[in-house]
Amino acid sequence: MKIPRLLQAVLVLLGVYFGFILLFDVILKQVIPSSLLNMYMFFVVAGVFMVFTFTEEGAKELLAPIKALVEDPNNKTNRNIVFIILPLLGGAYTYNKLLPSFDAPVELRTIHPAPPASLKAYGKRYDILNLENPYRKFEKEDPERFKELIAEGGAVYIRNCQYCHGDKLDGKGPYAQGLNPMPMNFQDVGTIAQLQESYLFWRIASGGPGLPKEASPWISSMPVWQDFLSEEEIWKVILYLYDYTGHRPRTWGEE
Amino acid sequence: MAGYKNIVNGDIRLMLGVLLLAVATHSPAKPGDAEQGEQIYSRRCVLCHSDEGDGLGPAAERLNPPPRDFTAGIYKIKTTGFDDMAPADEDIFRMIRDGMPGTAMPEWADVLSEQEIWDLVAYVKTFAGYEGEEPGEQLDYGEQIPSSPESIEKGKALYHDQDRCSECHGKDGKGNAVKRLKDDNGDRTWPRNQTKPWTFRASNDPKDIFTRITTGIPGTQMTSFAKPSSEKRLSIEERWHIANYVQSLAKIEQVVRAENTVVKAEKIDDDLPDSPDDPRWQATQPTTFFLVPQIIAKQRFFTPSNDTITVRALYSDTELAILLEWDDRTKSIPGNKLAEKISDADIGEDAVAIQLPIEIHDSMEKPYFGMGDANNPVNIWHWHSGTTETTEGISLLNSKGFKEIEKRDAATIGIHAKGLYTEGTWRVVMKRSLTTAESDKDLQFVSGKFIPIAFAAWDGSNSEKGSRHTMTTWYWLLLKPATGAKPIIAALLVIVVIFALLFFWARSRQPHRG
Repeated sequence: MKIPRLLQAVLVLLGVYFGFILLFDVILKQVIPSSLLNMYMFFVVAGVFMVFTFTEEGAKELLAPIKALVEDPNNKTNRNIVFIILPLLGGAYTYNKLLPSFDAPVELRTIHPAPPASLKAYGKRYDILNLENPYRKFEKEDPERFKELIAEGGAVYIRNCQYCHGDKLDGKGPYAQGLNPMPMNFQDVGTIAQLQESYLFWRIASGGPGLPKEASPWISSMPVWQDFLSEEEIWKVILYLYDYTGHRPRTWGEE
Repeated sequence: MAGYKNIVNGDIRLMLGVLLLAVATHSPAKPGDAEQGEQIYSRRCVLCHSDEGDGLGPAAERLNPPPRDFTAGIYKIKTTGFDDMAPADEDIFRMIRDGMPGTAMPEWADVLSEQEIWDLVAYVKTFAGYEGEEPGEQLDYGEQIPSSPESIEKGKALYHDQDRCSECHGKDGKGNAVKRLKDDNGDRTWPRNQTKPWTFRASNDPKDIFTRITTGIPGTQMTSFAKPSSEKRLSIEERWHIANYVQSLAKIEQVVRAENTVVKAEKIDDDLPDSPDDPRWQATQPTTFFLVPQIIAKQRFFTPSNDTITVRALYSDTELAILLEWDDRTKSIPGNKLAEKISDADIGEDAVAIQLPIEIHDSMEKPYFGMGDANNPVNIWHWHSGTTETTEGISLLNSKGFKEIEKRDAATIGIHAKGLYTEGTWRVVMKRSLTTAESDKDLQFVSGKFIPIAFAAWDGSNSEKGSRHTMTTWYWLLLKPATGAKPIIAALLVIVVIFALLFFWARSRQPHRG
């Protein structure tokens, strides 16, 4: 049995539509924004239409059922049904589109804003461009001491940071769900692996309130750690973050 | 990711877990290699459970419940009989794999392989000298009685009979304490709030609940109800009924859903309800948020007891009313002997607060969520429950951060509040007129606008006072505007136009008649 050409076109479109949803929402677990889906579907509809009407015969065959519905006097009942349903669908769509939306406003923020040139903390001024972790050198010079420093950093982390960033440094600590924005996932290749240690020092020492405006400092739950930790403790906890995740801090690339 | 989805995920995980457990109980546990386990332990576990396995890592006093002390060999979640101290290997395996909800113990299944977890099990057992021991016998489950209204009814009767479970868990299972509980180390413990299954350390599957009733929770005052010496002993069948009843207590409508960030206030034409038990609240849509402890500013607070707050709102032409509801196991009344007995030393009042910006910016900018900042002050409506000397009351604070706080008279501004405590739940209504005389000092409510709103709560019996409290981040309050006639008129117009087009099209294609 041959599937009517119009039905073929409709099936292709439905297939693509649900294919997108399956791919993004289910397989990739990233819900596809409706505006993006609409844009994709616009091109897909245009493409399908072009393919199906490539020859004149094809075009005729495609539109034959519609033509028959409108023109054939024997189709009166079907025509009446379609002519009632179509305007009603249009009306329902319009009504829903015009209802006021009660969805929360979307707020975009910069996740890794550019750091300032210098940072004031502990009553000193730090030049972020040239700031280095004073303990990093022990990695080569004194591996035993380096290991101790990491362990000390771990103790600082578990006492202070794991509540939000989690035991596994995956940003899923016990209180993470109650926060917005969610705490940073250090395991992710897009976070500390992309940053220099001086950047981390700035973010930790000055916390949420130290963020520039584009990063929405008013909602960040990151404490101002210079109020709680010593400078040394911050550098040690940075060692721990890189050691546990296996990431390397970014450098200016002289090595 | 939170809330209801979690439960669904939890169910799936649970099913997988039960499946795995079923497989595991049929085939003996895989032998783990304790030496391998030690390697993993020193990398993944040592910070909380410590080198010696005694749970005294650097964060111990900030974690509630504290990390397990493996040297004592006492395991809360186990499937061996009540007279058997050692757990089954599968019990330890499961706790590592799935973690324990409501604690700092995460699930490790995403990081460790099954073999690695077995290795850890083998190593962890050595702390208590369990390595050579024969596995304890699994408790007797008899034949599981599936949940049904009859079974739940029977379970309910047994639950309350002789005050068997309700003695600690309260009449409605919310864990509203009538006595102070502590574990074998003398640390304070709280009876589980059984209406919040997402806080169960294992799960709220009836089989897990049955297991807890049967073996008790070792090291705590939750005893075994299978022990022959127990006066409140239960048969296997009776334990299944109670398990089914406990599972039925879950308050699913109060699960936090991450996508619900807006408290939607409906408009009503009458006067707004003054009282928390006004039946009109039942018709409103509840929105529930996580409460997290204030660990951001001094004094940081790490051991909260409240974990969620549910919010409803209504408004009229002139006023706004907000109903706040949260489970609190203790009604904290300073001066009251009984309340002080249950409380930690230095009892305070229970309290709850709403925070609102004074000005809503057109840009994204909001006041700092912790009591505002120098450029963006906030209004805080702070209700407190009262003592034996004073009644409940509400105060109004205007603050620009933690340090710059101005106390104002709530009554003059027209803010009123009424609280009601019933069976482990506080419900507090706060009301204010939509507009006030001082528009530079008070938020003026407008319908249709998204208004940032945040909440905080204090459990006075849990040493919560001042900066020691639980809180939320910014969410939204929306006074739902009337829809108006526009959508319906437009819809009718579209219907007419489409119909007319179709009609003329069809007509033009028909052979002319007559």
